[in-house]
Amino acid sequence: MEKAFQYKDMIKTFPGFKLGPLNLELEPGTVLGLIGPNGAGKTTSIQCLVGLLRADSGEMRIFSRPNDLNRPAWKRDIGYVGDISVFYERWTGLQNLRFLSQFYPNWSDEKAAELANRFQLPLDKRAKDLSTGNRVKLSLVSALAHSPRLLLLDEPTSGIDPVVRTEVLDVLFEVLETGERSIFYTTHILPEINRLADELAFIDEGQIWFRTPKEDLNDRWRKITFRLAEENIALECIVSHRKEGNDHQVISSDFETTLRQLQELGAENVQDIRMSIEEIAVQILKGGKGVKFYVDS
Amino acid sequence: MLLHLTDLSDEPLQGQIVRQTRAKILAGELAAGADLPSIRKLAKEQHISVITVQRAYEALENEGLIHSRRGKGYFVTELSDETRKKMARERFQEILEPGIRAAKAEGLHKEEIKKVIANILEEI
Repeated sequence: MEKAFQYKDMIKTFPGFKLGPLNLELEPGTVLGLIGPNGAGKTTSIQCLVGLLRADSGEMRIFSRPNDLNRPAWKRDIGYVGDISVFYERWTGLQNLRFLSQFYPNWSDEKAAELANRFQLPLDKRAKDLSTGNRVKLSLVSALAHSPRLLLLDEPTSGIDPVVRTEVLDVLFEVLETGERSIFYTTHILPEINRLADELAFIDEGQIWFRTPKEDLNDRWRKITFRLAEENIALECIVSHRKEGNDHQVISSDFETTLRQLQELGAENVQDIRMSIEEIAVQILKGGKGVKFYVDS
Repeated sequence: MLLHLTDLSDEPLQGQIVRQTRAKILAGELAAGADLPSIRKLAKEQHISVITVQRAYEALENEGLIHSRRGKGYFVTELSDETRKKMARERFQEILEPGIRAAKAEGLHKEEIKKVIANILEEI
């Protein structure tokens, strides 16, 4: 089955920053969340894929078509939302949408109107007079109104109030229902990722260094408390360790391994507690590039 | 299927789906042969990712509570009363064990623990 997108050895350099070589693919029908600190390369990655930035080397494909700006048929398959919005500032939202509709055979005016209504977006205001949040909503409507197979969303709810953010998520879950559409999504708002993503990729300093099914994180990470009188305990897969006297609290990225080791060491009062995706993601990001989380990885 | 899923619990969403569905099946609310919503439908209804529902359904299938029919979806498995009771017993033991451990750690003796359990049974 063809991938929704593929990056092959993609490199983009700026003074002082290098993104890549990036190798990443997305299976159709899935949601991949890209998480990373500011400046890690999330926006650059998406902008290269969408053709807003020209990569220095490597290849990118959208449903097997290279993202060649001279042959833009691939653009019909994508909907992009990001911090660069391409609107005619003096035109109203409605005029901008009418203009865009020409480029997409699958555009639906009804859909656009329905989305604008759900997102509480006034369409009679000029683009330049729209607040940041409303500009993002206009981008969302433009991206969704032609029902593209692939959504590339770069912080798509920034500046949007919680009520509309819920509507946006509602719409995204509807998009996913048929199983034929895919989403690549970057965000800082981790609770969204918690529900929406099937897989998470972590990016830092221009490299994607960890990709995992979201449920694997839930299955493997735990906070573990125990009592052990030994000094200098060496445990594998531990990303943090706090100690008060003989009472310890660790965060483990592979709790079964840790529990086994604690048993061998004769630890007492061993208790493990689950962690939320947010807590796990923060630990992964704090740990940074190159940390080995699982014994078998 | 009405589920109460929350992000506020320590229990991950997958676990909540499994636990609540299991409870409905064992209580007979979901009858043998009843069809469950498709993975995608439940994901959309509950605003969760497909992989979460998929893993939950796989777990329920591994427990013998549901089975899938290719192209038709997932269905509740017919369970004998005996199997039902056995599963309910195992669940009860799972729930009770940490509570009893905690009670012992806090200094309660076997007889005192038994008394508390007996009191609860009287009241419910």
